[in-house]
Amino acid sequence: MSGEDIVVDKVMDLKGMPCPMPIVKMSKGIKDVEIGQVVEALTTDPGALADFPAWARTSGNEIVKTDQEGDVIKFYIMRKA
Amino acid sequence: MMDQTTRDDLLKLFQSKLNQAMRFYLETCSRCGVCVEACHVYASMGQVKNISAYRHEIVRRIYKKYYKARGKVWPSVGEAKELSDMALEELYEAAYTCTGCRRCMVYCPHGIDTQMIMSIAKLLLVGAEAEPEILTMLADTSIEKGKSLDLFKENFLTGIKNLESKVVKKWKIDAGETAIPVDFKGADLLYVALAGAHSIVPAAVIFNAAKENWTLSYFEAVNFGAFVGDPTRTKLILDRIINEATRLGVKEVCICECGTAFRVMKQMADKQPFKVSSITEVHARYLREGRIKIDKSTLDDPVTYHDPCQLARNAGVIDEPRYILQHLTDDFRDMTSDVRYNWCCGGGGGLVALGDETLDFRMKSASVKVDQINETGAKILATACENCHTQLSDLNEHYEMGVDVRFLSSMIADALVQSA
Repeated sequence: MSGEDIVVDKVMDLKGMPCPMPIVKMSKGIKDVEIGQVVEALTTDPGALADFPAWARTSGNEIVKTDQEGDVIKFYIMRKA
Repeated sequence: MMDQTTRDDLLKLFQSKLNQAMRFYLETCSRCGVCVEACHVYASMGQVKNISAYRHEIVRRIYKKYYKARGKVWPSVGEAKELSDMALEELYEAAYTCTGCRRCMVYCPHGIDTQMIMSIAKLLLVGAEAEPEILTMLADTSIEKGKSLDLFKENFLTGIKNLESKVVKKWKIDAGETAIPVDFKGADLLYVALAGAHSIVPAAVIFNAAKENWTLSYFEAVNFGAFVGDPTRTKLILDRIINEATRLGVKEVCICECGTAFRVMKQMADKQPFKVSSITEVHARYLREGRIKIDKSTLDDPVTYHDPCQLARNAGVIDEPRYILQHLTDDFRDMTSDVRYNWCCGGGGGLVALGDETLDFRMKSASVKVDQINETGAKILATACENCHTQLSDLNEHYEMGVDVRFLSSMIADALVQSA
């Protein structure tokens, strides 16, 4: 599935935020969409590549795709819980 | 309304905190009032509820009710208070308006440790599931990363690989060398960073410049278990790093610019077969040993330094940043003649991690810090803690201070001299 195939319901720009704001904002922001909808989160933290999947497992949500364009990492996260 | 079973369970948690030192703190306050002006929150906002002794009293009255004879049999005279839902609300307000900076402890003639007393409040809140949910979520994410590392390893390595060109751009390395080694058995030093590139790139540049035999940790340094006051989660998060350091056989674990992470690893972990250092100590050592050289001409403006409470007052890393700054500038302006009395930035104790919901309080409660910085006339505000950096940046914006908030490590990395 490419990023273009995914219907994105909310985009969150988390680029350049200090620790632990990307996860904090994500955790709050995903509650703004319905279960089954997708949030596209943009971050520049290399550690997010491990932190976001760990957060998704803990919170019961699902990362349906991860993309990277230059320094920007894109997570497509489906709200499941 | 709190039922008896819940209350009994919470009192067991309270009991678990009652070591000799804690009993001393809970029984010794003479209400002398010396701590009144010591708290930056009180000094900035002037509300009685923010006086350290007032915070203590909220916990102390519950202690008297259940652990002192007079409080048990004659509560009104014994100033005792029942552990109830209302008491939990008071405990929440006391604990999450205190940054745990321990400035009040320096003033207290009995050395009463407010941070320790607030750790009872935080533990009771965890037990009642009334703690800030976000802090527990962050702690659980860290723990999950430790439990399921194999699932996340490849992703992390990809992220780190992408940073290597940035490191090499700042400091050329020899052919065959790795700019950011990860999981390297045989390394002397394990560096534990945060998730952001700003915590990894300058550090890697300086390690490579110093020819350090180092490796990067898979895990982030910050311990949200400590912020939320949960000893079980604190230990699980800590153990990930201890196990990694032990498996790799390193001689030294170096904690990034994160005051709480350093203090937890240095002071709250059991004795380990490796040395624990803050990155600021390591950088000062490189300078002392001549392993790195710095060009003093890179900074034109006057510089001041904010001592992170968990690094300086609470862990003694005071001379090292000043030694580094002597190499960076001829115009260093200290905020205070005695670091023990330095004001907290106002963002500790998990308040910064709580994000926007604490922003208004963090800004109002740190006006004395703003005054202290402004009085130096410095244009560059250096610090060595992510939490402090975030809070100081928020203060800078809110109060239009016009300073450039910088990480010390990034200032060093930008000023390194590499001979041709």
